[in-house]
Amino acid sequence: MAEQVDFENDAMELVPQLLSAARRMTRNHADAEDLVQETLLKGYRAYDSFEAGTNLRAWLFRILTNTFINKYRRDARRPNEVDLGDVEDFFLYRKIGSEHTAAASRSTEDLVLDGLVAADVKTAVEELPETFRIPVLLADLEGLSYKEIADILDVPIGTVMSRLHRGRKALQRALWDYAMKRGLIPEHLIDDDPVSSS
Amino acid sequence: MSEPCDDALTSLYLFLDEEMPEAETVRIRQHLADCPPCVGHFEFESRLKRVVRERLAEEVPPDVIDRFRAALRHAGPSSS
Repeated sequence: MAEQVDFENDAMELVPQLLSAARRMTRNHADAEDLVQETLLKGYRAYDSFEAGTNLRAWLFRILTNTFINKYRRDARRPNEVDLGDVEDFFLYRKIGSEHTAAASRSTEDLVLDGLVAADVKTAVEELPETFRIPVLLADLEGLSYKEIADILDVPIGTVMSRLHRGRKALQRALWDYAMKRGLIPEHLIDDDPVSSS
Repeated sequence: MSEPCDDALTSLYLFLDEEMPEAETVRIRQHLADCPPCVGHFEFESRLKRVVRERLAEEVPPDVIDRFRAALRHAGPSSS
């Protein structure tokens, strides 16, 4: 049995990660703080059911995600009703990596990657439908494994992979739009077709 | 784009997410050793993943930390 006295120290170390995800889930600072506090309290009360030596981080993210889904989610649509549009073949790399020389491509890549501002990346993630946003946050922000995400969301690993794939593509398309708005994309790389990847 | 490139690109995220069986990562590494264009793509996706992660990370205000600690202490030991 895990000791509750250990919980505070171990869990408080994970607060920055929990809060970073919670802010993008709720899109709101006050709700995010309430969500994390509720997660900590639920974790504390259930801590004797936590198996010592297993992954506390994955366990707390499961509580956080389920609490969010049950209490805060505003997007009640079912996954198959959520349409991301035609994003499957969108590669940000192909949009910006098509310069005449490798050096020119590399310099555009640097410009975009260094120039993406935090506020834009946060908004781009928040604009993803929840079905895709949650796997993207758990994988790309928190570094959880497909298996851990599948357990948290109670879906098969294949579903995690396909939502993650589509979510990342939609995120890349949004980042492309923000990079254009910020003037990070050289004029000659901008075409009229927002989805074309070639 | 050649078949090995298509194959590598299909596995790009599995590879970067370290979700691929070791034997298959060898196959991808072998292809990357011979294919600078695919290296360019893999490196970009890897850098983008890191950039997204860095930009999304939040600092926690000290008063929020204090509030969470107080809430936990107020909850006290459970009766179980």
